Amino acid sequence: MDATLLTIRPSAPEPIYRQILEQLRRLIAAGQLAPGERLPSVREVAAAHAINPMTVSRAYGLAESEGLLERLRGRGMAVAAQGARTRSQSERLALLEPSLQALARQAQELEMAAEPVLRRLAKLLGE
Amino acid sequence: MSEASSGYLPLLARGLWHSYAQHAALRGVDLQVPQGRVLGLIGRNGAGKSTLIRALLGLLVPNKGYAEVLGEPALQLTDRVKERLAYVPQQPEAFPWLTAEQMLTLLGRFFPHWDAPFAREMLTRWQIPATRPLAKCSPGERQRVELIRGLASRPQVLVLDEPAAALDPVARRDLLREVALRAGEAGCTVLFSTHIVSDLERVASQIALLHEGRVLLHCDLDDTKERYARLWLPPRHTSAAPVAALSRRAQADGSMTLVIERDSHGEWPLAAQLPGARLDTLALEDLFVEIAA
Repeated sequence: MDATLLTIRPSAPEPIYRQILEQLRRLIAAGQLAPGERLPSVREVAAAHAINPMTVSRAYGLAESEGLLERLRGRGMAVAAQGARTRSQSERLALLEPSLQALARQAQELEMAAEPVLRRLAKLLGE
Repeated sequence: MSEASSGYLPLLARGLWHSYAQHAALRGVDLQVPQGRVLGLIGRNGAGKSTLIRALLGLLVPNKGYAEVLGEPALQLTDRVKERLAYVPQQPEAFPWLTAEQMLTLLGRFFPHWDAPFAREMLTRWQIPATRPLAKCSPGERQRVELIRGLASRPQVLVLDEPAAALDPVARRDLLREVALRAGEAGCTVLFSTHIVSDLERVASQIALLHEGRVLLHCDLDDTKERYARLWLPPRHTSAAPVAALSRRAQADGSMTLVIERDSHGEWPLAAQLPGARLDTLALEDLFVEIAA
């Protein structure tokens, strides 16, 4: 994986370490990063985006504790062997949680009832 | 000097007060920067940023208070500390009769860890005129030379006062990359003042918001983004506005905007869940504007 594959938006309200973690979750869940694939080093990511290496380490550390990445013996990180395919439904649902919360919040702000929102969502999901 | 111990603070200010004539520039500032951290000092023009930096480094004798650099009193720094400290002021004025290259060659002799190849490379990369004396260079060029000087000395403490103004986007990115890697890898401690918030968001590990001579907020950058939000309450709910808000503003239509903080359990105040209430995450710049405006 190339460090420039990550998109960093420094001015976004979401902290940079979360942006990196979120992208790793998605890339791994979608199979775009295959098990065993090596990740760019902390330094490469930090230099490519002119961001603090500690921010990158934090994201990698969290991804490791979630079981997404594993630390290689020598140095560096790779996508964990049991990545995307063995994820349970609840784990995959957890990935959607931020988007679902944002949707719920917007629906409340518009003072929408649940029914029409759910109907529309079901349609989008092809049901 | 015990750099390895976790409580070590390369930059420290306690109770700094300073006035110019009738104007109080610093009104009791406490500030600490742990080793290897990048502190972004944000404030509007005139908030006291440059005064604070000068007092921190012993370039100004404050009316009250105390400062330390690398464990030594700021007003009595020894050469040992001075050679590990690099300060880049907003308007450099040193050695106007020398060219950039002559100046860097001269100063390089005084710094034991001087990185001459880096200095040469940056002079080309940042397009500094080779044969022109500094006095004939533009203010932007002179500040770029000073930034090269500061970085080439491989300091343990790097203090940059509004460095971004003199740099084009490419040079700015170069500088931010250097700052980030020096801090993260070499353990260099950095203080970086600016009113351009977006520069800080890439590299800062902490931010301090200086407003009217006081530090209003000092915390981890990631924390800042996750801990504060803007709450908008429709007119019918303004009486439920939480008491503890960092700022509150009544709008012309009777609604209210507040900056609120999560409680110790990570929850937002209850008012955020009222029907019609709107909670928006705040980027750093928004937070700055909401609090300092």
